[in-house]
Order: sequence, then structure tokens, then C-alpha cells
Amino acid sequence: MSVLDSIRSSASGKTVNDVDHGSVQQAGFLRRSQIAFATSVACLAGLGLAIESNYLLHILILALIWCVVVASWDLLMGYAGLMNFGQLVFFAVGGYASQMLALQAGLGALPSLFVAVAASASFGLLVGLPCLRLRGEYVALFTFAVHLAFPTLLQLGRNHGTGGSAGLMGGQPLELFGYSLTSADKTAWFFLMLAIASFCVWLIYFVLLRGRMGLAFIALRDAEQAARVLGVNEVRYRLLSFVISAGLTGLAGALYANYLGVIAPTVLGNEFFLIAMTMLCVGGMGRFPGVILGAFVITIGNELLREFGEYRLLILGVIVVASTIWLPHGIAAWLKIPRLPFRTRL
Amino acid sequence: MSEAIFILVSGIITGTVYAVFAAGLSLVYGTSRILNFAYGSFYMMAAYLAWFLVVRLELNYAVAAMVLLPALFLIGLVVDHLVIRRLRQSENWKLVSMMGTLGLALILDNAALVAFGPEQRSIPPISSNVVQMGPMFIGVQEIAIFFIAIVAIVALELFLRTAPLGQAMRAVSQDMQGASMVGIGVDRVFAVAFGLSLVLVGIAALTLSPVTLVSPQAGWPLFLKAFVIVVFGGLGSINGALIAALILGVTETAVIYYLGTSWTMLVWLLVLVIVLMVRPKGLLGVWGV
Repeated sequence: MSVLDSIRSSASGKTVNDVDHGSVQQAGFLRRSQIAFATSVACLAGLGLAIESNYLLHILILALIWCVVVASWDLLMGYAGLMNFGQLVFFAVGGYASQMLALQAGLGALPSLFVAVAASASFGLLVGLPCLRLRGEYVALFTFAVHLAFPTLLQLGRNHGTGGSAGLMGGQPLELFGYSLTSADKTAWFFLMLAIASFCVWLIYFVLLRGRMGLAFIALRDAEQAARVLGVNEVRYRLLSFVISAGLTGLAGALYANYLGVIAPTVLGNEFFLIAMTMLCVGGMGRFPGVILGAFVITIGNELLREFGEYRLLILGVIVVASTIWLPHGIAAWLKIPRLPFRTRL
Repeated sequence: MSEAIFILVSGIITGTVYAVFAAGLSLVYGTSRILNFAYGSFYMMAAYLAWFLVVRLELNYAVAAMVLLPALFLIGLVVDHLVIRRLRQSENWKLVSMMGTLGLALILDNAALVAFGPEQRSIPPISSNVVQMGPMFIGVQEIAIFFIAIVAIVALELFLRTAPLGQAMRAVSQDMQGASMVGIGVDRVFAVAFGLSLVLVGIAALTLSPVTLVSPQAGWPLFLKAFVIVVFGGLGSINGALIAALILGVTETAVIYYLGTSWTMLVWLLVLVIVLMVRPKGLLGVWGV
């Protein structure tokens, strides 16, 4: 405790100098960002009540699902310094686990949701374990290899209930407190996703990263040797971040599968990966609320780009490359959002 | 017995082509420490260009190679100048360069999808004749692939060992700052290494695409294979990549022969996991993890 306390004080000392805007105190900043967060959630809730168009609600639901995915991705890439490119595999594991349990094991939609989270969290542990011994680009290589090999696994599992390239469909709609959420019920899904997404974002950015885990990441980033000597348990925090990140992404995947009623290997395809990457690049990793803004901007932008037809993904790719060149810290830096005491440890 | 020989021979042939392909990835990583995620997509692009030259324009292979390889070298220089060099200057260059090259890969994939459509294309083999060698029959195509690949590897080794620019490249890969201090133009070396890696991609595309089909997604499996080879051989070591490519080429052929093609990707992933667990710096790794 005392070790982390000393890091805490040195970290907050650093923050004061580190913030671009001069004399922003951390405590005041924390309170203000919490108020801003609560206000944004309230505004979104109001928006959900005001919007009648099912199409717009559908887009907002997708944006909220993406929020969970990119926030947990940001936890690994932007804060823990683990260059994980296999996040969508966690998404797929969550989605497939929930659908397979519902269809093959006959489990209800809600219990299979919980089991799906457990399954993807354990898968995160499985992927995270080899990554403990690896650094930088080796982590990127390994996780990306998992991402590339996973669709083949789904193909091979055709006889074991993964549905092959057609995927799985026809699960029962989710039931909460005796209320059945069908895909057509956009308003209910919007509020469910708003609650879950804001819980996940709050958990990651306001609880985990402001607690001991965030301090450990700062310590390991700023003075790796010293932090280790002082007893900061790198293995524990890295594994924990993998498990939490995978579990939350799996939850998003399970909800996605439940919402659309279908999960197919396309979630590991070119388009999904590109969209997620664009969110990270455009939003700016390691700078809350960068990637959250990215999730909304890109989900909406992606819909607007649909009129360009087949050129849409090409344009998204150009956006990724252009933003890595000219906007390496994303719109978060462009909006002059002061950097929190965390940034990528690279 | 004869099937073991068959697996060995055809595995070695595949392995030499993989070695050519992986050497380019290793070359760029060795000099500039940039992990080029777009490498597989450049292969796909080169394969489409080869298809365009050989099938559409009906050029013969030698002429197509003479057009394709210099063109790829130039494309490499341009991409390095426009994208890679800028990514390298970023404060957070490691992560940014990975994201940037991944973005580049997806641009190339989708450009190919827009330009050529999703269907697979095939390139006719150089020759479809078969010759008898002892108890087994080998296609002239395979022999040609083998010799082209061997010539490419030997030429690359000679270039790195004797040519001044090649020596500069090795110097940069050993110590970037030192090389820059003794007056080597590091940026120029990076650019040439990138261009050269695309030439190797072009050789791989000309030899492999008659065997495998050309499609917008064709680069990714090969990209994963190149990565496994480079990690197995040791990031940055060309000789290590050669040995690893031969071992994995034979392994892959055996897997295809006994288990079927759908298992190949999983076996490659398994090899990667084992290598990373047992010896993360690879067979002849220079820097380690």
C-alpha cells in the first residue's frame, strides 16, 4: 500500500506539470470529468427518448456496443502498453459462446450471457499468459496471429456447433425482469446498452485506471525497473487487464449477437477490424474520452459513408493512415483534452 | 518412404519461396524496426499486378518480371517516402507505425476489392510439364520456382555482404546511431530496404501465385506465415529466416499431406506459440525479446 501511495503522490505531482493547461488540480479535474461523464450519459438518455427513428436508434445502439469494445481495447493498448490486435476475437468468443449455449445447450439468454462473459474472460487469460513473456511487437504479432487464425477455427468447428461461415442465428431474445427484448424493440435495447456501456466505461476509466491498476501502469511506464524493485506486480496487473478487457468485450459480443440475433465469422473480417481501428486512431488511445468519441464519430461516419458504396472501406483505411500521420493522438489531442496521468508506455 | 521424400522435396521448394518472402519482412524490421503489417497486402497487390501483366497483357514471365520488379521497387520508395518515413518520426512511433501499416494493408485490400472484385484469379504456371527424378515426378514449375528462389536468396546475401549499400544496411541493422555517426544516410537505407522488400514480395508473387489463387484477402495467410518464419528464425536475421522457412515449409507440406489444408493456419499459430514460449528470440535472433 505504501509503495503505491508514494507512486500516487509522485504521479499526481507529475500531473500538475504534465497538464497542458497550467494549473488544473487532479482532484478538481477528476470531479469535473465525472460530472462531464454523467452529463453526457444523461444527454444520451434524453436523446434516446427524443429519437423516434428506429434507424437512428439502431446506429446509437451499435455505437454503444462499440464503446464497450474500444474502451476495453484502450485499457490494453493505450494504458497497459500491451499492443493487442486480437480484441475482436474476444468479441467473437463472447458472441459465439452466448449463441452456442443458447442454441445447443438450451440455456436461457440471460444465463448464457453470463457464461459468455466468463468464457471470453478465460480466453483473455489464455491469450494474456503468453503475452506476459513478450514485449512490444511480439505481443502485436502473437495477438494478430490469433485474430487471423480464429476464423479457421470457426470453420473447423462446423461440426461442433459453430455454424461454419454462415454463423449462428435464431437464439431466443433476452429477457430481463419478465420483459422480452426483441431486436425490433430499439428503445429498450438503447437504454440497456446505454446502461451497460456507461457502466463499462465508468468501470475502466473511473475505477480501474484511477485505482491501483492505473497507478501500477504509470509506475511501470515511467520507471519500469524501479517499479519492479518496489514490488509493483506487473504480471498480476497485465493479466488482470487482459481478463477484464476480454470479459467486457465478450459481454459486448454476446449482446451484439443477442441484439442482431446472428453471429458470423464476419465479425473477425476486414470491415469490423477496420472500423475498430479507425475508432482507436481517430479517437486517440490512452486519452479518455478519446476512443469513446471515436466510437460515436466513426459509427455515425461509417453510416454517412455508405453512399460511397464500395469505396467506403477504402476511405476508412485512408482515414486510419492519415490520422496516424497527422493526428497521432487522435481528436482527443486535437480537442486539447489534457492528458491524464496515463499515456501509452512506449 | 517415397511419400517422405515427396514431402521433403516439395516442402523444401515451398520453404525456399517462403524464405524469399520472409526475408523482405526481416530486412525492413532489421534496418528500421518497423513491423510492416501491410506486407501481406503488398504481396496481394504484386500478385494482382503479375496477373494483370501475364494474363491481361499476355506478356511472358521474363518480361513481366522485368516490368514488375522495378515497378515494385519504385512503389516501395514512394510508400516509404509518403507514409513510413512520417510514421517513424512520430513520438509514439512503434504503435503508430503498426496502426499506420495496418491501415495501409486495409487500403490495399479494399482497393483490390474495388478494382478487381471479390472473385479469385489464377495465373497460368510457367510450364505444366513434368519430369521424372528417380522414383517421383516433379513439375517443371516447381523446379523453376526453386531455382528462382535460390537465385533471389543468393543475390540478396551477396548484396548484403559485398555491395556498399548492402553493407550500409547491415550496419544500420546492427547499430542505427553508430551507422548514422559514421555518415551512413539512415533514411536512404530505410527507403532502399523497403523498396527491396517489395522486390522480394514481387518474386514471391510471381512464383507463388500460379500455385495459390489471387484474391483481395490472399495476403493475410502468407503474412502470418512470414511472421512465424521471421520470429522462428529470429527477428532481423536473414539466415535464421532461411532455416526456419525450410523447416516450416516441410512441416506445412506434411500437415497438408496428412491432415488437410484447413489445418495449416492452426499449425502455424501453434508453431508461433511454441517458439515464443520456448525460445522467444528465435533460432538466430540478434536482439531477442
